[in-house]
Amino acid sequence: MPEQKVQQIGWHLMSTDAAFFLVDDVSYAFADGTSVLSQVNWHIPSGAFHCLVGRSGCGKTTLLKLVAGLLQPSDGQIMIQQAAVYGPSSKVGFVFQTPALLEWLSVIDNVLLPISLHRRVLDEDRDTARELLELVGIVGLAERYPAQLSGGQQSRAALARALVTSPPALLMDEPFAALDAITREELQEDLLHLVALRKTTVLFVTHDIAEAVYLADRVAIMDSGQLTPAASIDMPRPRAADCRYDKQFVDTCQQIRAAMTLQTGKTAC
Amino acid sequence: MLNRHLPSVVLLLVLIIAWEVTVRLTGISALVIPAPMAVLTVLWDGLISGFLWQHIWVTGAATVMGFLLGCSMGFICGVILAEVEPLRRVFWPYVLAMQVVPKLALAPLFIIWFGFGMQPTVVITALICFFPLLENTMTGLKAATPEKQELFRMLGARRWQTLVQLKIPSGLPIIMAGVRVAIVLALVGAVVGEFIVGSEGLGASIIAAQGMMDSTLMFALLIVITLMGLLFYQLTLLFERWLLCRWLKGKTT
Repeated sequence: MPEQKVQQIGWHLMSTDAAFFLVDDVSYAFADGTSVLSQVNWHIPSGAFHCLVGRSGCGKTTLLKLVAGLLQPSDGQIMIQQAAVYGPSSKVGFVFQTPALLEWLSVIDNVLLPISLHRRVLDEDRDTARELLELVGIVGLAERYPAQLSGGQQSRAALARALVTSPPALLMDEPFAALDAITREELQEDLLHLVALRKTTVLFVTHDIAEAVYLADRVAIMDSGQLTPAASIDMPRPRAADCRYDKQFVDTCQQIRAAMTLQTGKTAC
Repeated sequence: MLNRHLPSVVLLLVLIIAWEVTVRLTGISALVIPAPMAVLTVLWDGLISGFLWQHIWVTGAATVMGFLLGCSMGFICGVILAEVEPLRRVFWPYVLAMQVVPKLALAPLFIIWFGFGMQPTVVITALICFFPLLENTMTGLKAATPEKQELFRMLGARRWQTLVQLKIPSGLPIIMAGVRVAIVLALVGAVVGEFIVGSEGLGASIIAAQGMMDSTLMFALLIVITLMGLLFYQLTLLFERWLLCRWLKGKTT
């Protein structure tokens, strides 16, 4: 009911109110004054899957860390569910570029780390962790140690760890960049399935345009610290793995690629 | 196992026989180089009569006590200096200065402070073990990748949790490498310490044997020290394997 009311007021207000993440005029500069991000605005509604693409070193990871509360903006403000972000929040799970598993803990203990750091692990928690490992397809490896896992299996364990506290949102920093194409596609599919199941809000950073188009509701482009407003990807869900070869998919990729090179051309001038 | 070590054993036997034959043929004085059979006889007698065991016990105890004391102090100071930046800035020059001081040169001072006997030996041994542990702990605590440290920040871990559950386990392989260096230095420190301050122990016995011009006994004592060193090293290695078995999992298979 209240949602309908909001819709009448207008699209702009609605999207701001329902925003899970709100990036409001955020700039970030290093201590020596080098500007990394300038006046970035972005709102990500609850339950949406947004991707951020851009070249290496353009400030993608910095924006992600600002949203995570790992960095503080030099200017502007970041809000999570209408509350200003001053530090890491338990509402947000973070998946890093590398799996970052602890070598001395078994897979299941790694998955339970977000819980074991704050309280004693209960039997229910172990069950939750097992269910998650089942969902990401590595429940058989629960008692193994990270060094015994392949790269893809480690990424799956890292994903399960980020989800174990059932955070309403995930921030992902090129989590599949180091994997081979087939494994990456499998993980993308499993990720979409998982976040659809839990209605998780996702901000996913990648340099891979096809990955962004396959995963996202909207794709924003970042170049030299400037953000182009997120373009909507109008493709039906659930998306099958072979939709990557559809004309619409390829066209969308081309458009985003064109937008990226256009921007780079502009800054080079 | 047996096949792997067989050549080494054969070489040892050949060397001993060659040594025995050379000594007998040249008639070289036992004061310069004693015959191996004579050395083994002295060693055997010493072990049977219990004369050697007393000294092995004293040196072994000094080594282990100094090693444990030095390692734990080195580890604790390493953690404190690595974690508290202002302290590191203040103390680092002093740590460096202490490290370059030859610890054995302090022995005469320790005699004044602690008298002769086991106490100054333990202190010297501890001082020698302190620095490898300090250095390796400080290096080891930096071993956790930035991503893992950010993960702990993201998960809202407290500072001591990050230390105990991330930094120390991440650095443990490096810290254990320091322990391995320390155990070898510990025995050297204890024996040489006993040269200077000892009234008992294998080091003091070597000095006594020198006074009596008993080279055969000195050789026997050197063999005992070598065997003790090997034993201590192997025990440390076993402890390290046990401690790091989880780290090694999957890497060996």
